Amino acid sequence: MRFDVYTPLVLSLLLSVVAPPLARRGAPALAARVLTSAAVLTAAATTWSLVLLAAALLGHAPPLIREAREDGHPVTNPVPEAIGIAAGLALVAVAVRVYRAVRAERRTRRTLRRLCAGHPADTELIVAASEVPQAFAIPGRPGRILVTSAMLRALEPAERRVLLAHERAHLAHRHGPLVTAATLAAAADPLLGPVRRAVGFLVERWADEQAAATVGDRRIAARTLARAALTAGRARTACALHFTDRAVTRRIAALQTSPPPRLWSAAAAVLLLGTVSALLAADATGDLLRQLSGVLN
Amino acid sequence: MAGTGSRGRAERRSAGELESEVLATLWATERPLTPAEIQAEIDGALAYNTVHTILKRLYDKGLVLRDAAGRRGAYRPAKNAAELTAEAMHEALDRGPDPIAALQQFVTGLSPEEERALRELLAGGGA
Repeated sequence: MRFDVYTPLVLSLLLSVVAPPLARRGAPALAARVLTSAAVLTAAATTWSLVLLAAALLGHAPPLIREAREDGHPVTNPVPEAIGIAAGLALVAVAVRVYRAVRAERRTRRTLRRLCAGHPADTELIVAASEVPQAFAIPGRPGRILVTSAMLRALEPAERRVLLAHERAHLAHRHGPLVTAATLAAAADPLLGPVRRAVGFLVERWADEQAAATVGDRRIAARTLARAALTAGRARTACALHFTDRAVTRRIAALQTSPPPRLWSAAAAVLLLGTVSALLAADATGDLLRQLSGVLN
Repeated sequence: MAGTGSRGRAERRSAGELESEVLATLWATERPLTPAEIQAEIDGALAYNTVHTILKRLYDKGLVLRDAAGRRGAYRPAKNAAELTAEAMHEALDRGPDPIAALQQFVTGLSPEEERALRELLAGGGA
């Protein structure tokens, strides 16, 4: 139990270390899928481990221990009381973080519904008559694509096709739910923050690759990103924040080389990490139940 | 039956995609366009009749208007819904925390040196 219950934490860290290089080098569709699956499994295992650590406090209940001693059961509760209490507090923090993430998600959905108001239900493209260059996919059934008039004016015809193909790829491959899953996993297990960021980057790369394939020209796809980023950058200088994660530059650089290989072995390793944390959590559950039943009987 | 159904869906979807493309073209160009001009703008891959049909469909949905003041047969985008959407978007952006930040946005911020590099890329065409 000692190992099993702490390992999901170590595995979360490990996953966060491998996520960024995988996001940079692997084919985005495969990498995004395995990283999200592993993140969800690991977050569930980590949360469950906290539940187990907190539940192990039950084993400290003096009457139980006394009874156990009388019955001749060795009481080897491996969880010190302080850790059990810390785990309980961490669980409360997890609950608050997940609640906040869900609330933010619902707020976003409400906003998106408002953006679609007044547009015919069977129309894919929603144009916002705005000088803010902006484009994003609105998940749902059917999914919609919102683009502002400023963004449309900035692009050439072939580039507009790239933009639409990119947003369509988000909708067709259900990137919205995928990112939401990764976001909730990172809310439950903050160690997975880098995995959430990697998934966010990967779905953009995935849509870039799809768009490049649709127009049949990686150079036009790269140019579209450059022009859109410059247009958006000009509009944003007023904020003077200059915060950047270099995401666009890296996406453009990726389009200037050939499509990345599917790193099957790396993907399998990532999935293994997720599976191992789930298995260990299950094993720890068995340990705890045995321990408690040993104490109780 | 199933085959026909899925083909029907595929055709509908691609009609939807064409509608988006024509609508995007009208919004990108700041003056009303005739079907022939739209056809030329979308690099001629579409038949004139197709463009005409799509425009009619967009017109029926109230997304484009016939340019009454200008040339016969020219169309321009209808602004009402687009302005409402812009208002709702600005409101959401101003209110904060930004609900759109969570979405997969097409592009995000740039640093000054990234901006320089991208400008060179566009100028040189050496992508």
